[in-house]
Amino acid sequence: MSVFLKDIVPAAQNNINTRFIVLDKARSSATAGANGKSCIALAADETAAVHIQLWGDECDAFEAGDIVKLTNGIFSYVRNSGLVLRAGKRGKMEKMGEFTIAFVETPNVSEIQWNPDPENPKRYIQNGAVSAYSRVFPPLP
Amino acid sequence: MEISSKLIRFSPHEVENHLELSLRQAYNNLQPKLRPPFSLEIPDPQEYLELNKAIVYGVLSDSGSCKTHIKHLHALVTDGYAFFTSLLVGIVVEFYGKLVDSAKIQLLWATKEMIGVSSVGLEDLIVSLLRRIGSGDYSDQNLWLCSELVSLFLENWDCLLEEFPLVLTSALYSFLRLLADHCRVIGVAKLENVKRLEIRFCVKMFREEPDLCLKIGRDLLRLLQDLVHVPEFREIQNGLVVNRCTSSRYFFLRITPEMEIQLRFLLGNVKLGSHKRHQMWFLKKFLLGPEKETVLIDIVRFVCCVIHPTNETIRSEIMPRWAVIGWFLELSKQSQHIERSVKLALFYDWLFFDERVDSNIMNVEPAALLMVWSIPQYPQITHSLLEYLLNLVESYELSRRDMVARGVASAFRDIERKGVIRSLDILIKNAAVASDLKKKLAKLLAPVNLQQLSIPSEKTLPSSEAVLKECSTKVVGVVDNPDQKLGQFC
Repeated sequence: MSVFLKDIVPAAQNNINTRFIVLDKARSSATAGANGKSCIALAADETAAVHIQLWGDECDAFEAGDIVKLTNGIFSYVRNSGLVLRAGKRGKMEKMGEFTIAFVETPNVSEIQWNPDPENPKRYIQNGAVSAYSRVFPPLP
Repeated sequence: MEISSKLIRFSPHEVENHLELSLRQAYNNLQPKLRPPFSLEIPDPQEYLELNKAIVYGVLSDSGSCKTHIKHLHALVTDGYAFFTSLLVGIVVEFYGKLVDSAKIQLLWATKEMIGVSSVGLEDLIVSLLRRIGSGDYSDQNLWLCSELVSLFLENWDCLLEEFPLVLTSALYSFLRLLADHCRVIGVAKLENVKRLEIRFCVKMFREEPDLCLKIGRDLLRLLQDLVHVPEFREIQNGLVVNRCTSSRYFFLRITPEMEIQLRFLLGNVKLGSHKRHQMWFLKKFLLGPEKETVLIDIVRFVCCVIHPTNETIRSEIMPRWAVIGWFLELSKQSQHIERSVKLALFYDWLFFDERVDSNIMNVEPAALLMVWSIPQYPQITHSLLEYLLNLVESYELSRRDMVARGVASAFRDIERKGVIRSLDILIKNAAVASDLKKKLAKLLAPVNLQQLSIPSEKTLPSSEAVLKECSTKVVGVVDNPDQKLGQFC
């Protein structure tokens, strides 16, 4: 089932199916380790924005304005990148279109403070936003 | 086992195109049936569709056996080639740009086969191919398509004329517009041959089928104005008068399907204030690069005449047309010629405006709102537009000036009457508008202009040039009774 970005919650599971539009992309860094280069990008849909992490040839495959379908993605903390949505080893990102999503840049679910749910420590719940907009990719003036 | 596509370039991070996939699957499933001896049994409806799909894939992917496939199709067909042709249209609209070169060649071959049998839906196929000729694109690929298509029209002239005459009119619109660009570009050697063919086709149209040419409507004159410096067209333009509204179908011809989708989205879904990224992407995709901005002329005409938002959209926060056009106008300033042509595209329907044809109001609305909304923050835009419009009226040759002045005056009045802007005083009495312009505008809007129409004497009647003798006596809306003509044609 496909979900909106406002509804994704950090978890150690490869089960997020969604689609979003890439808004901006940082330069890729070759220092990401043995797996090759990676880069962080800003993505959004009609409900929220999120930071995504692209790996290897994904970095060049997607441009700002591309609509991407994510299958079996994962939303979790990655060292040096923060809370990011990515395909991971079991997921897949594919370009499915361009341009035609009217997106919002706030809230950004990567800029939300998530705390463990006291009733179910395996789950996270929202505990306020660190920043309304992305601090890595500030909104255009 | 999935067999990778022979039609399109493979990209690992892209979802498969449904149409391409279904053609490929049909081909793979039916392969044994695609070789002679062909089955004599009549396929059931579902199988018929699958066979069509398989044959399309076979024709496009395999030049060696395409003739066998087409023979198979001829033996099989029961729908006037309608489904086969619609599949080709789907390919052109959805993924022409991704086709490998050999598939493009085969696509043109199949199109010619469909002309040969006058297939149902052929107009759509040819128009979709015409829309694939890029503006300001002088790559080998694009010039190839341009030259293939113009040759196709010349070589299949008689057949097209008999079966699909309006396709020739669409081709004329496309090639006149392309020629305006092609004749300005210097130093592209490969262009010379294409240009020669384009001129040959257009001149042949004017010589042999003047009535068909005039079917374009008044935008024919706009296109020809850009070709006055080309000797072959100088005579043609003389004495040509046509008041008929241009049917919106022509405005699609120089807009690619992708551009259309994005323009409609921009003007139907994106809110003013959060539009910057979409604007940037549109710019990057369609307008960056040498000569690319020429398409702004076509875009502005398309936005004025085709994209007519609903009242609900107009009342919402969605990007209004005038704002997008204001941006296009800024972009056009890189070249004087483009800027002038963009302004003409914006005001073109003003010149012929007739308040009795109310569908016109949406064509003139963007220019009016752009002038009014620019006053507070960008008075220079208001000034430059108003100045352009008033000069345009004055610069018209005597025989047409009254008609044009009347058109512009009625456009202004109708804009006020229909409440597009509350009062024309916002222009006529505004301190931010230069006083000479206000004076000229007031004079134009004085009631006298709406009543006194000078009746042209014999001398000012359009001269019937040899080339256009036929049409200038038949359809030329000679200005003997402009009221009647305008009403009749619009």
